Amino acid sequence: MATIKELSEKKPWLNWVLFFGTVIIVFLIGLFAASIVERRSESQMYFQMVQPIPDWEPRHEVWGQNFPRQYESYKMTLDTTFGSRYAGSVMIDYLEKYPELVIMWAGYAFARDYNQGRGHYYSVSDVHNTLRTVQPQPATCWTCKSTDVPRVMNEIGVREFYSSTWAGMGSQIVNPIGCQDCHDPQTMNLRITRPALAEAFERQGRNIEHANHQEMRSLVCAQCHVEYYFQGEDTYLTFPWDKGFSADDMEAYFDEYEFTDWVHGLSRAPMLKAQHPDYELYKTGIHAERGVSCADCHMPYKRDGGLKFTDHHLQSPLNNISGSCQVCHRESEETLRQNVYDRQVKISELRRITEKTLARLHLEAKTAWDAGASEEEMAEVLQLIRHAQWRWDWVAAANSMGFHSPAEALRVLGTSINKAQEARVHLARIFGRYDVPQPVELPDYSTKELAQQVVGLDMDDIRRQKTDFKNDVLPKWLEEARLREEAYNQP
Amino acid sequence: MIKRLLKILEPPPGWKPAVVIILGVFTGISLLVFHASEAQSYISDKPETCINCHVMYPQYATWAHSSHRETATCAECHVPQDNFFSKYYVKGTDGLRHAYVFTSRTEPQVIQIKQRGINVVQKNCIRCHLDMVEMTRIVEVTGQNYHEGEGSRCWDCHRDVPHGTVRSLSSAPFSLVPRMPSLMPEWLQSFLKTGEQ
Repeated sequence: MATIKELSEKKPWLNWVLFFGTVIIVFLIGLFAASIVERRSESQMYFQMVQPIPDWEPRHEVWGQNFPRQYESYKMTLDTTFGSRYAGSVMIDYLEKYPELVIMWAGYAFARDYNQGRGHYYSVSDVHNTLRTVQPQPATCWTCKSTDVPRVMNEIGVREFYSSTWAGMGSQIVNPIGCQDCHDPQTMNLRITRPALAEAFERQGRNIEHANHQEMRSLVCAQCHVEYYFQGEDTYLTFPWDKGFSADDMEAYFDEYEFTDWVHGLSRAPMLKAQHPDYELYKTGIHAERGVSCADCHMPYKRDGGLKFTDHHLQSPLNNISGSCQVCHRESEETLRQNVYDRQVKISELRRITEKTLARLHLEAKTAWDAGASEEEMAEVLQLIRHAQWRWDWVAAANSMGFHSPAEALRVLGTSINKAQEARVHLARIFGRYDVPQPVELPDYSTKELAQQVVGLDMDDIRRQKTDFKNDVLPKWLEEARLREEAYNQP
Repeated sequence: MIKRLLKILEPPPGWKPAVVIILGVFTGISLLVFHASEAQSYISDKPETCINCHVMYPQYATWAHSSHRETATCAECHVPQDNFFSKYYVKGTDGLRHAYVFTSRTEPQVIQIKQRGINVVQKNCIRCHLDMVEMTRIVEVTGQNYHEGEGSRCWDCHRDVPHGTVRSLSSAPFSLVPRMPSLMPEWLQSFLKTGEQ
């Protein structure tokens, strides 16, 4: 056999093949060695505070210098590509999809614009964009939208914050929901920054300071993902939990206070608007009963190399079934996804029945008024409408299409349909008394545009006002905020 | 014979320095990999070998709290025990796949056993528990049968044996998961901590 020496004299390029071949192998083995060494040393460093974080620091990038993995995953909430069967992080125009909602919210800002919320990163810009903020709103609206809120509350006081106006706080509120809403800047322990949750606990005779870590992994979410209302003249943010968590208990609470969000534009019913009682609905479900927290599914623990950390990409678990569901459930991803959809399809079916009934009901009530029905005759009907729509909203406004607690969601929707149909029985009697021909003739509200015409909204004017706001006012707010934040960096 | 081989492999004179240096680097890095990955330990059946990397820590921790720790190591369930060749064939191919997955950072957050693993483990359940499950062996409930839709695996009922029902790379409830020891020598660690030797 020829030696390499002889071969290389005959074919000199063989030397280069050998040379580069060895170089590539050495490179790959070096990569392997570096990977092992890196992973073993990174597991030694799990809490590295390179840049101390001042109290009330609202900027995520400052926190992110110390916690790159958490920050990087948090930034993933910018991603709006995932859509599940009913929700996800894609923008969905609900009024377009379900035009009945426009009729159900006649006389209320929700009839103008109502979308599926995108990720936390958009919490401030979505509020800038929505047509609901074209009319004057209290600063209380900002409470759950930004990490600037704890900072401002600390500066001017809680009651003073709530009694300011939405526009008055415009230049203060710029950073979306993030780090300091849930974390202590020194220890990174979970903390409660929104007074309403602590106050609700206090009224129930409980102390939120006594919550353990696993409870805190839900309670930090419950600062915002709950039902709340604005109490009194100074629009003080309050949770209606004094009688209990269920839709029925909250309804009794609101009735006792005679609280009304708005008077319906068609039926003149004293209406309630549910926010998003995610925490309350989840509390009645099997996952909560077994001690599973919000974070266990929506931001599960994750291991990247040698480090374990909490995935801060808050999202639908359906986009991360392997990291969330499969920790406990051994079924395949397809099976688990189907299990969720099977429940949601059923809840959606009842939900759509409720929406169609309620839209019809409001228009029929208007017909009764027009025919000359008296306040006395209508009182019972209006109360039923109030309760029926509240109960529908309690399920519909919550995220998850009822999956947080399918049985409870179906029960509440069932009582809603029953109350709506009871109201229609009352109305039928009134129609008989005033000789109104039945079935009542209804206007066409099969699209968002048609429905908005029915409730008398001048959408062109509202859109023009929004454009003016974004051209004239918003840039000033953002510029003012930029100058303020630049001053933070000055020593 | 060896002389002849060396003669065949000998590089031309002009190339000698380059080849010597590269071979030196190659050997050095290989030694580092050998040390860092504790390669020698893979010959043994010690359970600690399976946690040379981080990935199997929850599996190790749950096993260490189970009754199986008294009698069965990782390898006794997870590699074939019928003969020397199939044992080291499975061990070797599994090990290489794990090294590849771990290095390329493509491990899933929840590890699930593959079909070949199912076959091996099912066989090993029966191997030890034979006096209790003789019937199971006779009617041949194997991992392959399960795959074809006949029969169940032992752990379809004994769900939490021995690793518990809740586990991912980062969760193993009720068991302390040990951390990896540092690769750095102790004097260097204390130097980095205190700033002096």
